[in-house]
Amino acid sequence: MQIDFAAKELTVKLVYYGPALSGKTSNLRAIHWLGTSNACGELMTLETQNDRTLFFDMLPITVNSGSGLKVRLKLFTVPGQVMHNATRRLVLRGTDGVAFIADSQRSEADANREAFLNLKQNLEENGIDPEGIPIVIQFNKRDMDHIRTDEELEVIAQRSREPIYKAVATRGYGVMQTLRGLIREAWGKLEEDHQLEEKFGISPVRFMNEVESKLKHDPGQRER
Amino acid sequence: MQDDMSAADILLGDVLRLEDVLPRDSVTSVCKSFFALFGLPVRVISHEGELLADVHRDRPLCNYINTSINGERECARTVGVVRDLDRNGQTNVYPCFTGAVYRIVPLDYQGRPIGRFIVGPYVPAETKVPPPSLSSVDAAIDDGTARGHFAKMPRVREDVAQEISAHLKGVLDLLVFSGHRALLASTMQIASVRENYRELAEANEALKTSYDELKQLDQLKSTFLATVSHELRSPLTSIIGYTEMLESGTAGALSDGQAEFLGTIRSKADQLLGLISSLLDLGRLEAKNLDLNYEAVDPRALLSDLVSTIVPAANRRNVSLDIQVDDETPKIWGDQVRLSQILLNLADNAVKFSDEGGEVVVRAEPGKLDAAGSSGLGVALFAASRPAVVLTVEDSGMGISGENLSKVFDAFYQIDAGTTRLRGGAGLGLSIVKQLVDGHEGEIQVTSTLGEGTIFIVTLPAADEDA
Repeated sequence: MQIDFAAKELTVKLVYYGPALSGKTSNLRAIHWLGTSNACGELMTLETQNDRTLFFDMLPITVNSGSGLKVRLKLFTVPGQVMHNATRRLVLRGTDGVAFIADSQRSEADANREAFLNLKQNLEENGIDPEGIPIVIQFNKRDMDHIRTDEELEVIAQRSREPIYKAVATRGYGVMQTLRGLIREAWGKLEEDHQLEEKFGISPVRFMNEVESKLKHDPGQRER
Repeated sequence: MQDDMSAADILLGDVLRLEDVLPRDSVTSVCKSFFALFGLPVRVISHEGELLADVHRDRPLCNYINTSINGERECARTVGVVRDLDRNGQTNVYPCFTGAVYRIVPLDYQGRPIGRFIVGPYVPAETKVPPPSLSSVDAAIDDGTARGHFAKMPRVREDVAQEISAHLKGVLDLLVFSGHRALLASTMQIASVRENYRELAEANEALKTSYDELKQLDQLKSTFLATVSHELRSPLTSIIGYTEMLESGTAGALSDGQAEFLGTIRSKADQLLGLISSLLDLGRLEAKNLDLNYEAVDPRALLSDLVSTIVPAANRRNVSLDIQVDDETPKIWGDQVRLSQILLNLADNAVKFSDEGGEVVVRAEPGKLDAAGSSGLGVALFAASRPAVVLTVEDSGMGISGENLSKVFDAFYQIDAGTTRLRGGAGLGLSIVKQLVDGHEGEIQVTSTLGEGTIFIVTLPAADEDA
């Protein structure tokens, strides 16, 4: 988090993490076309020829809290490929929350676990306590065959510390719920650490209402 | 520290200054084409007040006004106000006292102001006559002349000016976006490379440390080996000596059973002594302080010595020995004792690993030793090959597989630990042979076919003709 007292501006950094091809960029794209255009900035992606995200995507969302404080939510994704670990670690620096995008396909369970361990390690190397940082987990690609069933995810969700979301990011399903969940978790933690309500007079509830109204998507593109 | 700072800044993905992402040349050329198309002057200024582009042509009206003292002062004041006008991110139309206007359009990026551009001065098409302030600014201004110049000012309808400005804003926004993208990509790239380098450097450092530790341990092992073998040999010599004395009846007559037991004790003690001697040799060889007494050694004598030593073992295993010496074989330049050791180790192995009824062939023949080494690398730079003696030891044993072949010269290496018990030996022989051959500046090669047998070829430098 970065506070600019003079400009009354708060920048919150949220990172979408996960194994290669799990749908991190699809999440950001969906947020971009589902979110209202005046809240979202331009989606910036850096892609290599074979369509893998090389560096990161960035989607700044601006929320005016009503008390004069401007909150800029910056969403990043990292390159999932193993070879880009240094870039992943750099992007993770100073993050306020992580959305871990897992692939629901059974065949990808190992890749999910590996990416999560990598996340943990990179957080630690950046001096961030993995136990303390808000993390939400999204099981993406719910429309594919051979995936973990809803019942299985139900069981997983019950014993999981992190909130679990289901999504089909390419169609926008579950993307906004995940983002709202992540923002709620991150804001809760920031409130705990920095007493934002006391300093700026914004309660978490009011902030989330503001986020909800900003991120309200077009009725024509409803999520299911 | 500076680098870390910029990396951290870039990681939040913010544009710090307009001039960092907008190349001046590109902005200027965009403004020039804007000017060529619409005839409107344009300036681009960063949030910090830096002028990034300024494309305009002096207007006769402005030149004329500037000839008067008050006109010049008033003009400078207007330009100053316009330059610094930045009103909460809203587009502003600022009127000049001449009747012309300036349109100030803010540029922002990701919710932050980063600069603005100013279009003008131009006269709104809606303004037909100049305001009185044009000629009243200074007594020296002639109303008629001023009106004449006013008529020649560029004219645009305000709604058109708004559209044109929106278009220019779009172009500049795009330039900022692409510039930012490029800046992020390159900064990220460099930061990643640096991060990778740091990681590798740390890994290398760790590897080097553990390598140094291993080297130290290896040194320790060699010293330990040498000390222990030396300490083991002294009491063993006593054991063997007293056993021999007992056997010879010095301490009284022996029964058949006692003699047999003593014989076993002595043969096992001899075996132990052999092993300890090998260990000592290896220790010396590894420490590279083995002295070789060079002389011309006749391979015929070497091979006949070998036969007498190896025959009993061969007979026990029913292995036939075939010794072949080519008549042309020259003498070897080497240490007689060590050369015997080489041959004995190889032949002993060959017998040991041959099956019952197998055959071992030991051959000596003339050959050549390439001065540049077996690979022939840089052969042009070395003297021509020199005469050599090739000693071949061939068995009809079980053979060695390709993957194990490269390890046979490692100390304590045995292809199958089970064979140690079955056939004896500690896995030191070939390691010693290799070191001895190296010590003689010779070469040793091994080829093998599983199930058919193994061939060791030792090439050693020949002694000079007259030696």
